[in-house]
Amino acid sequence: MAAMAHPTEHGHGGHAHSNEHGHAARGGTPRPRVAVVKFASCDGCQLTILDLEDLLLELSEHFEIVDFPEASSARSNGPYDVLFVEGSVSTPDHLRRIGELRKQARVLVTIGACATSGGIQALRNWADHDAYRAAVYPTPEFVESLARATPIAEHVPVDFELRGCPISPDQLVELLTALVTGRRPQLRDEAVCMECKRRGVVCVMSAQGIACLGQVTQTGCGAICPRMGRGCYGCFGPREQANAAGLARYLQASGERSAEEVGQLFAGFTAYSEPFRSTITDLGGTRGARRTGGAGHVAGGAYPPPGGAATGRASYLPGRPRMEGIDDDGR
Amino acid sequence: MTAAESGTREKIYEVDELTRVEGEGSLVLHVRKGKVLEARLRIFEAPRYFEQIVVERTPDEVIDIVARICGICPVAYQMSAVHAFEDLFGVKVDPEVRALRRLLYCGEWIESHALHIYLLHLPDFLGYDSAIALAHDDRPAVERGLRMKKIGNRILEILGGRPIHPVSVRVGGFSRAPRRADLEPLRAPLAAALEDAKETVKLVAGLTAPEFEREPRMVALHHPKEYPYNHGHIQSTDGVDLRPSDWDRAFREVQVEGSMALHARTKDGATYLLGPASRITLDAEQLHPIARELLAETGMADAIRTNIYWSVLARAIELTHAIAEAIDIVDGYRPPIESRVAWTPKSGVAAWSTEAPRGLLFHRYEIDGRGRVSAAQIVPPTSQNQGAIEDDLRRFAPRIIDLPDDEATLRLEQLIRSYDPCISCATHFLDVRILRD
Amino acid sequence: MMTIEVTRPERTTTAGRWYLERAGLDALVAALREDGRTVIGPTVADGAVVLAEIHSSAEMPHAVGDVQGPGRYRLTKRDDARVFGYVVGPTSWKRWVFPPDVELSTGRRTGHRVEFAPTASHPTKLAFVGVRACELAAFGVQDRVLDAGPFRDADYAARRESAFVVAVQCTTAELTCFCTSMGTGPEVEHGFDIALTELDEGFLLDVGSPAGQELVDGKLASALRPATPVEVYTAAADVAATRARIGDPLPTAGLHDRLLAQLDNPRWAQVAERCITCGNCTLACPTCFCTSVIQKTDMEGIAATNERAWDSCFSPGFARVAGGSFRSRPRDRYRQWLTHKFGTWWDQFGTTGCVGCGRCITWCPVGIDVREELMAIAPPVALSPEPIRVEPVAASFNDFVVAQVVATRQETADTVTLTLAGADPAFSKGNLGQFAMVAIPGFPPLPISISRFTVDGIELTIRGAGPATKAMTALKVGDQLGLRGPLGNNWPIERAVGRDLVIVSGGIGLAPLRPVIHALAADRRRFGDVRLYYGARTPADILYREEMERWASRGGIEVHLTVDRAGPEWEGRVGVVTQLFDQATWEGANAIAFVCGPERMMQATANTLAGRGVTPTRIFVTLERHMECGIGLCGHCQMGKYFVCRDGPVFSLLQLGDTFGREGI
Ligand SMILES: Cc1cc2nc3c(=O)[nH]c(=O)nc-3n(C[C@H](O)[C@H](O)[C@H](O)COP(=O)(O)OP(=O)(O)OC[C@H]3O[C@@H](n4cnc5c(N)ncnc54)[C@H](O)[C@@H]3O)c2cc1C
Ligand code: SF4
Ligand code: SF4
Ligand code: SF4
Ligand code: SF4
Ligand code: SF4
Ligand code: FES
Repeated sequence: MAAMAHPTEHGHGGHAHSNEHGHAARGGTPRPRVAVVKFASCDGCQLTILDLEDLLLELSEHFEIVDFPEASSARSNGPYDVLFVEGSVSTPDHLRRIGELRKQARVLVTIGACATSGGIQALRNWADHDAYRAAVYPTPEFVESLARATPIAEHVPVDFELRGCPISPDQLVELLTALVTGRRPQLRDEAVCMECKRRGVVCVMSAQGIACLGQVTQTGCGAICPRMGRGCYGCFGPREQANAAGLARYLQASGERSAEEVGQLFAGFTAYSEPFRSTITDLGGTRGARRTGGAGHVAGGAYPPPGGAATGRASYLPGRPRMEGIDDDGR
Repeated sequence: MTAAESGTREKIYEVDELTRVEGEGSLVLHVRKGKVLEARLRIFEAPRYFEQIVVERTPDEVIDIVARICGICPVAYQMSAVHAFEDLFGVKVDPEVRALRRLLYCGEWIESHALHIYLLHLPDFLGYDSAIALAHDDRPAVERGLRMKKIGNRILEILGGRPIHPVSVRVGGFSRAPRRADLEPLRAPLAAALEDAKETVKLVAGLTAPEFEREPRMVALHHPKEYPYNHGHIQSTDGVDLRPSDWDRAFREVQVEGSMALHARTKDGATYLLGPASRITLDAEQLHPIARELLAETGMADAIRTNIYWSVLARAIELTHAIAEAIDIVDGYRPPIESRVAWTPKSGVAAWSTEAPRGLLFHRYEIDGRGRVSAAQIVPPTSQNQGAIEDDLRRFAPRIIDLPDDEATLRLEQLIRSYDPCISCATHFLDVRILRD
Repeated sequence: MMTIEVTRPERTTTAGRWYLERAGLDALVAALREDGRTVIGPTVADGAVVLAEIHSSAEMPHAVGDVQGPGRYRLTKRDDARVFGYVVGPTSWKRWVFPPDVELSTGRRTGHRVEFAPTASHPTKLAFVGVRACELAAFGVQDRVLDAGPFRDADYAARRESAFVVAVQCTTAELTCFCTSMGTGPEVEHGFDIALTELDEGFLLDVGSPAGQELVDGKLASALRPATPVEVYTAAADVAATRARIGDPLPTAGLHDRLLAQLDNPRWAQVAERCITCGNCTLACPTCFCTSVIQKTDMEGIAATNERAWDSCFSPGFARVAGGSFRSRPRDRYRQWLTHKFGTWWDQFGTTGCVGCGRCITWCPVGIDVREELMAIAPPVALSPEPIRVEPVAASFNDFVVAQVVATRQETADTVTLTLAGADPAFSKGNLGQFAMVAIPGFPPLPISISRFTVDGIELTIRGAGPATKAMTALKVGDQLGLRGPLGNNWPIERAVGRDLVIVSGGIGLAPLRPVIHALAADRRRFGDVRLYYGARTPADILYREEMERWASRGGIEVHLTVDRAGPEWEGRVGVVTQLFDQATWEGANAIAFVCGPERMMQATANTLAGRGVTPTRIFVTLERHMECGIGLCGHCQMGKYFVCRDGPVFSLLQLGDTFGREGI
């Protein structure tokens, strides 16, 4: 995480600054000024701030939220002590604004897959941009968008990043607490698997043959997908030294998945981060350059996939009569 | 916000960046000699090309992807998509799965409505910039809103792993269905939330709303036995009656004159209104008895129909409904025999509409022989409402023309917020020509 | 280095041994709960047998079995009503004695003052139901790590101390089990309060401690009756069968030294390409103890808590210091794991770190098998399959014993099987794959594989390739010939126990493999999937045709045939033998291969097998060389450093290295 390095490497930078404000807050001097801006995104990550229901009001005692258009009509142009940036750089206007905003921000935090990795919209980076525009908009020449949707760190230095689509509320609180108390945020750089195991989740890859990206994905979500009985789709992005190539090889070796299908597994919300990016490219890009399925290829992802047989829990549950069908048309 | 005056009779009101709405938009109202030249809700979200991104993907992948159109109502996107696919593939899910999907939607409605009422809308009525400012003076009210929002999120988290972009919805059911014990922690807070919701209805019914009567054409799903979430027929105050898959028989997307934006209209070109007010109007009979009674007590069903400011009350009633129904579902829940039934894909057109918190959300996918999407059309509620919103802006003009500029633009912004527009959703109605001005 | 001494007292007495009906299990759970204990036991959830709190025996698995392999776990339905008819699952008891997340202490910082307060541990009283032998051994390992050194983990000690242990003897085993190799099972011998062995209708119950005795004499008394000798015998036999089934998948002699001598082995880098460094293996392992402590504070920066969480040497940050990580490369981390578990653990704690439970193999999402890595990185000193030497008879240069042809069978136009009797008994005791030097006066003695061992003799299958062999195929019942042998080494069939076996042969090459198939069929369940791929020149040249049908129909062996040239009557495959498994769907990660045929064919086969993940350590070929003495004296059969007759004819590809298939050696 190159981004993380900034405040730690220039130690006093991040720490001293936060200290100043953190302790100052209790001393009666101004609270750190916080702003939230968005680029191309779904608003989910900034909504996570509002989703800190229990802490929201307490937070407002430690931070002064000066610009957060989704939540408040009060506006400010900066400078900001902490600037949360959601979304990827996707239009010429974004390109211009991110540079200006960086100048206004003492600590810049990117939040979410869009900002840290380009987000789902970065899948267009593999495609012909003009064709994409033409397919969605009636008069594409009027649509201003860049050929690539890119992470913020591709344009300006980033101090901290929170991963995820959306970010984890726990990690957000940890970062805010660390900022206000002047310590280093404890954001682990391990695989999702570790949390999966700590929580006693049965590995869906070993026990059900479901492809799971947890091994190559940065922890932080609390192993949500395996807990919900499905494979991780990598929304927290590749972890340090992620062996995506090794996993891709393994997933193909069994013969149940074609190269294209394995490529699509990585072509999700953090597709544009390395090494997911090159893994996707190596396996034929995002739009099936290799369309023929391998052995056991499953059309359209039917369930259960032949061969990948899920050992249905159901078979161990005592039977129970089905309920009367409900007329779902309302007629 | 600016109100530029050129001559005495001409005014252009602009709100450059609407606040307390989801996403980025602006509005412009151009009046000359009492005549409205232009009334437009502009959306300047960056395009994200979802309809193209889902091409070549499998149905389950599409469910994950379309959720990211909107962080406020991801469940709505997942629900329209999953029901579209299941309708085409002939999948019959377990009845408990059907109930769980309603519960999931209840969670999203609770979260979204509580957010809108308390964090986005109430400050308007009470004259604050934000809920945080409001909390300085009335902390219990804001805390009440946050409490309800939290229980909505909690439902989403238990069923889907997390409140935003839950992960468990799959074609055929859920990747994992909760055990009874998993739902247990919802009981007590839901019971408390019901009281909070009733309190909310009282609170908002007592607000004073600006006079602004009109009778828009209203559209919502209608189901004889239940308040509409995932099923029912598309109905309207003027007699439309269609399967949820057949939206495009009565409605279509049109390119608005002088702009690149796509708006939805009825086939004969009329605008219409979706959302809580429309649902309350068309589906009041199907409300949970608790909510129905509350509505009757307020005696404001008509006001809801004719004055968009009272959508705040419609939301409060629906909030009560969603909480009351969630309680019932939790009480009667037994884990499904099969949390996910087997299915195989089919080629053809998969289409469906469900009721997002902000109204009808229509999805249409063409599925190819390999079971993957070859084309997609997604029509979110905000872009369907856009025409009605602009109609109202026009009608509203005479009421603000004599007010001081700041106040006038504020009033306009408040009007827009009454629709709870979700601009993130509406990105594919991008109007960039104006953006360049 | 010390080794675990495993003593296995013969327990044939029925005294103090009890029988508990299957229904009585509930009485046991109830008694433990009444004792104020939280009872942890197996239950089915999310496609696996997991350990969780149980309130009655109804929550325990019934008629559930499991199938495990590298990176693979599936539940199966058993056709009996057993409650313990599976082996260890994803959870280990470590979760309760050494929990994944614990609060260690809290701290406060008010003004200039700081305070620290250890968080008191109040573990509930525990009972563990269904602890296997390897898991008891894991407790032993953890005791040494956490509770025997100069500094102790008091929380661990308290939890361990509180737990009442109901052990279970393993009457089934999976391919991932290797307790036998680690000396930890499958027999449960000590460290329990009560031990159960599951029988068809109930359990044999043994008492292992005063607490166990108290339960047997008290709350459980009414559910028990003394066990009958048949029950005691059956229980012992079932556990013995489990031991046999597991075999010895990981030869551990000298492993510590073998492994630590290999710190520079290139294989570390190779395995790191497959390893995702996810850490699953370490967290699934019942003995891994690495943790990290994280600090949490409130927003005021006043109150702080320290929480300890399971961590792993696979985490990139685990060995990080300000200047970087000491084990920055994945290969470094894999090496740390393996050398610690199987090597330096001995130096630190006087015990192995591995108890052979197989969890790290099953729950490695990409199916990396520690045993395989160990065998590749630190192979047993004797690289070749170790011959179990039978003293050959007539082992001097030109001395033969005489045997008589008692039956002949024309296999194909040019090939005959001779059944010989009356030879020295040493022949029938020979090993799979050995050969005999066969002589008819006037012809040079020839090496001929023994194609079957009978009670009082052997069979030879001979193709009339030249004058001498033609003379042999012409022999009639009652004729005699001279034999020397049995000679050479043998197919390492013990290495195939618990694995899938692929047998590939061409033409007469099936002869030396035929005894292997006989042996497999006799003890089929000890092996995984067995597949025979056989190629002949024409359909008429296929050896052992009738027998082959029996192998397929009753022997549980998949037989795939191909011919080079076929007539219209042939409906099977045409083509070379390697094409037969080009389309096959099996993976080679758990397979071992025996190959015999023309050298070209063996080479092609070896390449194909390698492509499927069968490593050179697990591919065995038999070489044909010109032989005269058969005992390493004449020098004819030399190949590189080997005398094929004496050191072979069976070699692993690893042994042969690049001499295999090289021209002119
Ligand atoms: C370990 C081993 C096991 C064998 N098992 C069998 C078996 O079970 N059934 C079977 O039919 N064949 C087997 N053979 C091969 C068999 O030994 C040869 O086919 C046979 O020696 C050919 O001799 P020949 O005199 O009949 O033919 P020719 O081709 O005429 O041999 C000419 C001469 O060359 C020499 N010669 C050629 N090949 C060999 C050889 N491999 N070993 C010794 N001398 C050779 C001999 O001096 C022989 O007289 C085995 C070979 C080996 C090394
Ligand atoms: S990262 Fe995901 S949740 Fe966050 S803004 Fe982007 S799409 Fe939304
Ligand atoms: S389910 Fe996924 S995240 Fe969990 S252990 Fe398995 S591979 Fe890792
Ligand atoms: S398991 Fe993976 S995809 Fe699922 S929420 Fe966590 S990081 Fe995202
Ligand atoms: S190293 Fe593997 S086999 Fe050995 S005890 Fe640990 S998990 Fe079990
Ligand atoms: S050996 Fe397997 S389980 Fe262990 S870290 Fe490597 S990939 Fe993960
Ligand atoms: S045959 Fe004589 S040395 Fe091998």
